[in-house]
Amino acid sequence: MVVTAKSLDGKEIGKVEKHYHPQATNCRDTKMKYGAQWKVANLRDTSLQPNKTKAETIEFDLPAGVRAADVTVELIYEDVNPDNKYPIHSITKRVSLDK
Amino acid sequence: MKVLRVMLVLLMICALPLAASAQKAKTIDELAKMYDSSRCKSCHSEIYAAWEKSHHARPLMGVKGGLMLTPLATKGATAFSPDDPKKTTIKNFPCFKCHLPQAVTSAEDSVAVELTEALLAKDSAKVAKLQITCVVCHNSKSIIHKRELGEPENGVLYSTKAVDAHPDGTFKKVKKSAIMQDSVFCGQCHGLGPNLEFDQAFQCANLYGSYLHSYVSSGGTKACQECHMPKVNGKADHLIAPNFNDDKGTSGLLAKAINLDVQTIGYEWLRKAATYVPKIVVETKITTAAGHRIPDG
Repeated sequence: MVVTAKSLDGKEIGKVEKHYHPQATNCRDTKMKYGAQWKVANLRDTSLQPNKTKAETIEFDLPAGVRAADVTVELIYEDVNPDNKYPIHSITKRVSLDK
Repeated sequence: MKVLRVMLVLLMICALPLAASAQKAKTIDELAKMYDSSRCKSCHSEIYAAWEKSHHARPLMGVKGGLMLTPLATKGATAFSPDDPKKTTIKNFPCFKCHLPQAVTSAEDSVAVELTEALLAKDSAKVAKLQITCVVCHNSKSIIHKRELGEPENGVLYSTKAVDAHPDGTFKKVKKSAIMQDSVFCGQCHGLGPNLEFDQAFQCANLYGSYLHSYVSSGGTKACQECHMPKVNGKADHLIAPNFNDDKGTSGLLAKAINLDVQTIGYEWLRKAATYVPKIVVETKITTAAGHRIPDG
């Protein structure tokens, strides 16, 4: 998941990435491995779990003088390598500090 | 008479290994022919067309034309890789357990040698001949209660329904499989966790483990087939999506299974007296209707 905040003139204010996937090692060292032939067991699992909600709170401090931003949340599935992407959702919302 | 009996016994002893070896394929072409299901197409054209696009039709290819087993063929790349391609054996490819189960039961080591050479030569056409065909699921993998029900019979297919007279020269009968509509059928290959039965443990798919220990334990009741093989024109979809070669279809399937909710607020946070920090807060919630972790593997 990539969360990006941009000022209304398009300048990036901040960007946060969250990665959800099982992470495995070969159990002989602490380096994560990709590829079934090298992995032995999961060390950590941040993947999306059935019947459970994955909730995040992400904060961006706005630069001086900026009172509104466009926030885009993209949910992307990556398969085999990070360049092979399958977009799932992209939601953009305008957030203002003015009422 | 006694001489004849001795000759007959000698003949049987000599013939046994030949018969046994004759049951195993020596080449990729022989193995492909042994499990060939192309004639199923004539009567089951829709199912066959869907299967042809599926990952089951290219289990050694990976995604988008890749040859995912290449590291196993490459000297020094993995613990399984042979030093000499000519000395490759079936055991050098533990992935066969699921990616080509017929190789474990029905192939000589010479098939592994030929595959290694094909992988090193990037001979995609040859590697692509090795498939999880109709016969693999509808015969070899259709019985898991072998002590009670015996081995899958030769000349019999197994499916969700029995068919007394199946119009095929080889498979003349279809029997009902006890498990074909259950998740455990898929679980035979789609993984509980580390494969610890090998002399070098490794881990591929965990999907069935996730299904059992996360989905079922949280009240899930659907079988794999209900989501991955929905009925299309009254027949189970043998694409068994996702098809990762289809970007749009895969994105659509994922969007259907995964929900993203985004809420935002903007305000000025009072860090300390007279020091406001303009801030935006983004709350995201992701929920999934899948019966397993996403992603897996």
